[in-house]
Amino acid sequence: MDEVPLLEVRNLNKVYDNGYHADKDVSFELSSGLLVGLIGPNGCGKTTLMRCINKMHSITSGDILIDGESVLPKSPAEVARLVSNVPAELTASFGLTVFETVMLGRYPYLQNMWWETEEDETMVVDTLKKFGVYHLQDRALNMLSSGERQRVMIAKAYVQNPRLMLVDEPTSHLDMKYKLDVMEYLRAMVKQDMTILVAEHDISLMARYCDLCIIMKKGELVAVGDPKKVITEQLIRDVYEVEASVGTDKDGEIFVLPKRFVGDYHL
Amino acid sequence: MPEENRVMSGIRAVLNGKGETHIAKKKHLSKMMLLIGFILLMTMFVAALCIGPDGIMSPIDAFSNLFSAIGKGGTDMTNDEVRVYSSRMPRAIAAIAVGLGLSIAGAGYQAVIRNPLVDPYIMGVSSGAGTFAIASIAYGFTFFGLVSAHSPFLIAASAIVGGLLAFVATMVLAHMAGASTNAYVLSGVVIGLIFGAIQTVMILFSGHAVSNTMLWLFGSFSQITMRETLCVLIPAVILSVFIMRYSKELNLVLLGDDQARQMGLNVKRFNAMILILSSVLAAFCVAFCGIIGFVGLIIPHLCRMIFGGDHRIVLPASIAFGGAIMIGADLLARMIMPGLELPVGSITTLIGVPVFAYLLYKRGKIYNG
Repeated sequence: MDEVPLLEVRNLNKVYDNGYHADKDVSFELSSGLLVGLIGPNGCGKTTLMRCINKMHSITSGDILIDGESVLPKSPAEVARLVSNVPAELTASFGLTVFETVMLGRYPYLQNMWWETEEDETMVVDTLKKFGVYHLQDRALNMLSSGERQRVMIAKAYVQNPRLMLVDEPTSHLDMKYKLDVMEYLRAMVKQDMTILVAEHDISLMARYCDLCIIMKKGELVAVGDPKKVITEQLIRDVYEVEASVGTDKDGEIFVLPKRFVGDYHL
Repeated sequence: MPEENRVMSGIRAVLNGKGETHIAKKKHLSKMMLLIGFILLMTMFVAALCIGPDGIMSPIDAFSNLFSAIGKGGTDMTNDEVRVYSSRMPRAIAAIAVGLGLSIAGAGYQAVIRNPLVDPYIMGVSSGAGTFAIASIAYGFTFFGLVSAHSPFLIAASAIVGGLLAFVATMVLAHMAGASTNAYVLSGVVIGLIFGAIQTVMILFSGHAVSNTMLWLFGSFSQITMRETLCVLIPAVILSVFIMRYSKELNLVLLGDDQARQMGLNVKRFNAMILILSSVLAAFCVAFCGIIGFVGLIIPHLCRMIFGGDHRIVLPASIAFGGAIMIGADLLARMIMPGLELPVGSITTLIGVPVFAYLLYKRGKIYNG
């Protein structure tokens, strides 16, 4: 029994109402304590997969198990205590401070209590300090820079104390420094009892930080494995239809340099 | 800015107490809110009993008149007893009910639609209510004989039906347009314009009834009876308390539908519930006293700017301030021009706009998206 994976996706299919088959027979397992990169071209089913895992979308067939238990019969509040998610972009909000926003991560645990407990507060304060946003705690959320806001939303997802954290394109509108910053935080956050699944376009960044990567194309799983082994010029060519140089720098880190389209591809 | 900050932080220091943690401070603040709200509402209520264009009496006289009138069961009253018991008390209570109801409805709309601009007026509720009320006032519209033409509740019933009709139209249009926050606001504005146009045409041809319709459109507590007051008070209090129970969830939806959903809230059902409750609440508030502008928009913002965005504080604060400010506005409407009562809706707008503009200038940054 000690080999039960944290997340198991079994033959997951998702067909949208308009007939679009977004995820085709996807199966994989993740153990605990990993930072996992989910990589693939736009529209390959990454976001759909994530939204199926935390039950934001219903699934067409297959099963999703966390710690060996299917999430399908669980209530939204039960799922919220197992899976948290960091959105790619936060829709405009008003009135909430950074502290209040992060505290909302404790909502799934509040049940019928009107106020959060001292323990909730201690947890939030520790997390704010850990993510370097403690000094912003009384600032309005919508007055922060996008990098700061991303960190706050990650802190909120962390306070939710999940088994699995889903992060959708956390660095898409951040500069190089903030990209590193966010990845460093995600790396530091992975704990023995939590796995983080990140969907991200920057393959070099994923290769540098992730323990494992999942590659998808047109709704199907292409490869799962150690990024340093999986990411090759041939794979990039197959998945993205792009010719790229995949090299290794003096520290042994992989970098990917896209060069040209393969074949007669037109935009 | 520094001066204003010092005043604000001074106010906060008193309200927050000596609590060390955020939660302790909020708990303290919410207790203070109850106390302040109670004192504020009682003070304004007593003032409203004492002061009127037909004479000012001391609080002791006011209460002795009130209690003796109650003792007599509302019959054989002296002039002073009639003033306090039959006129001043109902309108003070109605003012509290309408003030708190519109404020809570506005706060509910703003959170669920995540747009600081929405209130019962933007959502079309008041235009719909106004159109149907005018149909009854000026043209004797009785729902094809369903309501007696002499019923004291005819206008109120029309207003409620009209308000809810406009709300449903707004919702249907917004859903067809994709149910984004902008869709809600634009749909509300458009539906409001249609009803506004119908109103204008009806007023134009209303002949001798024009002044009655105008009085209703600007809102007034002058004609309200105790029976009507109870018809506003009871639904306003019940619906407001019901919405207040969901303060935590109102905080949650500020982060967007997706985030609220993934934290375990059934967002669609919750949003629909709050929108419907807020609309019913707003419809009851305008039904008996006419359209009183700006309260539902301003009071929740006023409370957010002073006390922060947590709805567990904003909603009780809105009740206290909404009720108190509405009594104050009604007092002004009675007293400002001797011998002539102004519509209370024009007072709330005239005072509300500069206050709001000032706060927006000082603290409006919290709304930058």
